[in-house]
Parts: sequence; structure tokens; C-alpha cells
Amino acid sequence: MTQALQAATPSRADGRPRQPRTRGWRGPRRGPQLLSRGSRVTMWAGLLIALAVYVLFGLVPMAGNVIISFTNYTALPSAPVNNVGFSNYTSMFTSQAPGFDQAIVATGVFVVAVTIGQNALALLLAHKLQRPGRAAAIGRVLVFLPIALGVTVVGLTWILIFNPQEGPAASLLSAFGVHSAFFGSASWAMPLVIFVQIWQNAGFSTLVFIGGLRSIDPQVYEAADIDGVGAWRRLRRITFPLLAPALTANTLFAVVGAFTTYNLIYVLTDGQYGTQTLGMLAFNEAFGSFQANLGYGAAVSVFLFAATLVVALPLMALLRYRERRLFS
Amino acid sequence: MRRPRLVSGVAMGVLVAILFLLPVLYVVMLAFETPAHFLNSPLTPGTPAVSNFSGAWNGADLGVELLNTVLYSVVASAASTLLGLLIAFPIARRLIRGHSALYTTLFIGLFLPFSVIPLFAEARMLHLYNNRPGYILLHVEPGLPLAVMLLVALISSIPAELDEAAWMEGAGYLSYLVRVVVPLTRPALIIAFLYGLLGVWNDIIGPVVLLSDPSLFPVTRGIYNFFGSNESEWTLLAAGIVIASLPVVALFAASQRQIIRASLAGALKG
Repeated sequence: MTQALQAATPSRADGRPRQPRTRGWRGPRRGPQLLSRGSRVTMWAGLLIALAVYVLFGLVPMAGNVIISFTNYTALPSAPVNNVGFSNYTSMFTSQAPGFDQAIVATGVFVVAVTIGQNALALLLAHKLQRPGRAAAIGRVLVFLPIALGVTVVGLTWILIFNPQEGPAASLLSAFGVHSAFFGSASWAMPLVIFVQIWQNAGFSTLVFIGGLRSIDPQVYEAADIDGVGAWRRLRRITFPLLAPALTANTLFAVVGAFTTYNLIYVLTDGQYGTQTLGMLAFNEAFGSFQANLGYGAAVSVFLFAATLVVALPLMALLRYRERRLFS
Repeated sequence: MRRPRLVSGVAMGVLVAILFLLPVLYVVMLAFETPAHFLNSPLTPGTPAVSNFSGAWNGADLGVELLNTVLYSVVASAASTLLGLLIAFPIARRLIRGHSALYTTLFIGLFLPFSVIPLFAEARMLHLYNNRPGYILLHVEPGLPLAVMLLVALISSIPAELDEAAWMEGAGYLSYLVRVVVPLTRPALIIAFLYGLLGVWNDIIGPVVLLSDPSLFPVTRGIYNFFGSNESEWTLLAAGIVIASLPVVALFAASQRQIIRASLAGALKG
């Protein structure tokens, strides 16, 4: 996901309409006739092998999710696989399968809190870390480090810090009379999971905001200085509007990421204590202990994918509309 | 003007240090503690001890798992970078019909979720489940779209006259790619490789679903299981985390300049 949005930031930082990423899309093809026959065969062979990998392990699984969602697939060799029609979908909404309603609520809370928190923290960090100089450069490396460390190391690190007996967080909070099982507590688990998700991904959002800040023409600020514009008005009237494209990208990055990823939740709580989002539910139904409802899990995944689109696409349209209004 | 700026700069430095440096330092400190000292004063460093490292190394089988991880992530990421080049060159040079539609198809791939249930079903059917070649093959695809996007962008900036001249003199396709295109696209190849590598290296869902034999586990699943079976041996667990993340931290330290510059450039270009 991180890579995905990095290459696909949906609009230009300077607010002009998006150009095709590569030059020369239009215009006739040329060149292939210059290649020898043998070279053309090699080119096609390489292309087809590479595309086969993409189709087989990228596109087919997408369609496969839909197909499996109409079956009672369990992956047990003895159990036959039958077409069960829409029953996996109907059982989501008829409380035959527990946990679906809670998962929708958990997903909603998780997505909203992560989106707001991640952007707020990243904006704050970017504002300071955009500066030239060694200290800011070190800061940029530090905030990006969790992405390199990965969800397993990050998750286990925070489990150590929130170790309920001797962990530093427990010691600190007990000074204020707060005692909790943290990741093993129904009231603390969700806020902590949200916090770690933000911590894990803030570095990337920060870099996107820094990119946006650096693309603002310094002359705009010089003009504002001459006109005697104060710091607060500068931030509100110049920086924030001109940051709109970066905000669009980061909002979508956070929303889609929070909707679909569950690997960090898997490490931190395995979806227990009220942290079972839809992605986590799909995984646990399919691969959790004593479960093998791959058909139902696939149906939840399809629902999740549809829900992500239903939220993300109008949101993208809205954010783009806001960008256009700000710049025209 | 000058002083508030300095104060806020220092405040931000402190915030970044507390938020992003302290957690990491705490784990490193913990890894060097003896369990006895940790129980007495959990928040202060004691005389450094290395016994946790040997305990974690042997207890979690970290040697084998690190080798597995290196094998999986280097081979899978190298393959997706290479296959990315084989797709990107014909697209960038418009050597095939429908190059634009193909580009769009790959672009969509950036947003495809990791569909773990059908991948599991496919792995069972194609005998890719619970073996090394299968695990590697299943991890080639996730890095492919980004590699294609980065490479198409860079190849388009190389003058096409260069390959036309080479082909008129009869250079073969593959040798041309290797001798001319690879050196010229090195920055994009390195970034695609590094991002792919991090993706495979840090995957935890894949090893849980696609592998069952402990001797095949990469270090993510190894260290995750080690946590499950050594609850409350916190110093040992911290040492395990340090060992498991040391290679990737070293790699990141060596390449952070490129990674961060590439991410900034990507954000700028949009």
C-alpha cells in the first residue's frame, strides 16, 4: 500500500491538472520493425512470462475472492466444495455469523481515527522536518524507520512497551493511578492499536507533506512577508490551501490503508478485545484457530473491498473538487 | 522571530526523539538487561549482558529463519524487478499494440488488496503451498506494478534513438537490455528492488497462511511464534527483536538517502 500510493499520488502538487506520467503516449508506435525476428520473439516471451505472473497472482486472486465467496470452501481434503449461492452474504447480515456488526463498528472507528490522527501528526512533523540541515534530515530518517522495520517488529516493540507488569508505559501510568492490561483490555486495546497504526505509517505521510511543502513557490511567502502577513494567516491562507493535493493523497492513503490492512492488528491483538476490523474478521474466519470458513471469509473480503470503494471514490471526488475550488 | 522558531524547533526535536527514537532505544536497552536486573528496576539500564542474544538466537532458531528471509526477499524482489523491466521496456517504447491499456492494467495493480484467501487456494492447487519455490513465486507479484511504473517513467526519459541505433547494428534484445538499459535505469531498479525487498521481508500474513513447516519460516513468523511461546521473558524477546531487525536496519541505514529521496520525488511528481 505504501508503495502504491507513493507512485500514484493522484494529483500534481502545484494544482495543475494531472499529466500522463510518461511523455509520448500519443503518436505512432515505432521501432519494433527494427528488431530482428529473434529479438522480437525474446521480447514477447519475456513480456508474456512477466504478465503471466501478474495475471496469475494479482488479477486471478481478485476474481477468485468473488468465486470462493459463493462456496463453502474449507480447504479440508475430505470436505466437498459446493456452490452455496448468496448464503455467505446473507449470513453476514442475519446474525448467523457472529462478529460482523462489531467488525463494521470497529472498522469505522479505526478508519476515522487513523485518518485524522495520521494526517495531523504527519502535518506537524512535515512542518518542522521540511527544513534543510542535518537535524531535520535525521528526523526524516527516524520517522520513516517504522516502515523499514515492518509490522512484526513494530507490533512486538509496542507489546514490550505496554507490557502490563514491568513495561515503561505501565510504570509511568501507575504514577497517575492508571492500571490496565493495555493490549489485553477492552477499553485500551483499540486506542492503542490505532496509535501504533499511526506510528507505523506516519513517516510516509510526512514525506508526502514535505513534498507538498517544498513545491510551494518561495516567492509566495516573500510576497506575503512584504505585505506583513502574520505567521498564523500565512499558515491558514497560504500553506494549508497550497497543500491540498498532498492532503488529498495522504487522506486516501490513510483511508485505504486503514480499511484494508490488518497485519498490524494480527500481531498486536489478533482481533481480540474489540479490535476485530472487517479485514481481521475475514482472515480469522478463514485461518483462525478452529475456523476454516474460507467461503465466508472471502465474502467478508468482497464486502470490505466494496465498502472501501464506496467510501474512497466519493471521498476522492470530494477532495479533488475542494482542490479545484481552492485553485480557481 | 528568531527565538520562537528555535524553541519550536527544539520542541519538535524532543517530540520526534520521544515518539520515534525512545521506543527503539528501550528495546535495545532491554535486550542487554539481565532478567534479574530488569525485575528490580525495569526502567534503568544495568551492566550490559549478552546472554539474551544467545538465548534468543538458539531459542527462536533465528539463524535458519534469517537465511530463509534473505533467500525469499532477495530472490522474489530481484525477480519482480527483472520481470518489471521486461514489461516496462515494451510499454515505454510503444513496441506493442495496446501499450497504454497494458500500462493502465499494471497501474490498477498498485491498488489491488493482498487477497490472501484465493492465494491460499491457488497455492494448494498449484503445489506452491509450504515450499520455498512456491513461497518465492507467490511473493513476486506484489512488487511488480511499482517496478513497472518506476521503470516506464525512467525509460521514457532515455532517447529512443539510442536503441534504434543499437538495433540497426544488430544488437539482440536481451543483451541490449542488460548492457544499455539496465545501467541507465539503475536508480529505478534499485528503488523497486528495495521496496520489493522490504515488502517480502516484513510480510507476516504470507508466512502464517502459506507455510506450515517451521524449517521454512522466515524471521517474522519465527519471532512472532517466539513471542507466543516465551511470554513474559521480556529481555529474551527484546534480544530476538534486535537480532531480527538488525539486517533490515543496516540495509535501511545504507540506503535511506535513496529511499527517502525517491519517496519525496514521487510525492512531488504526483
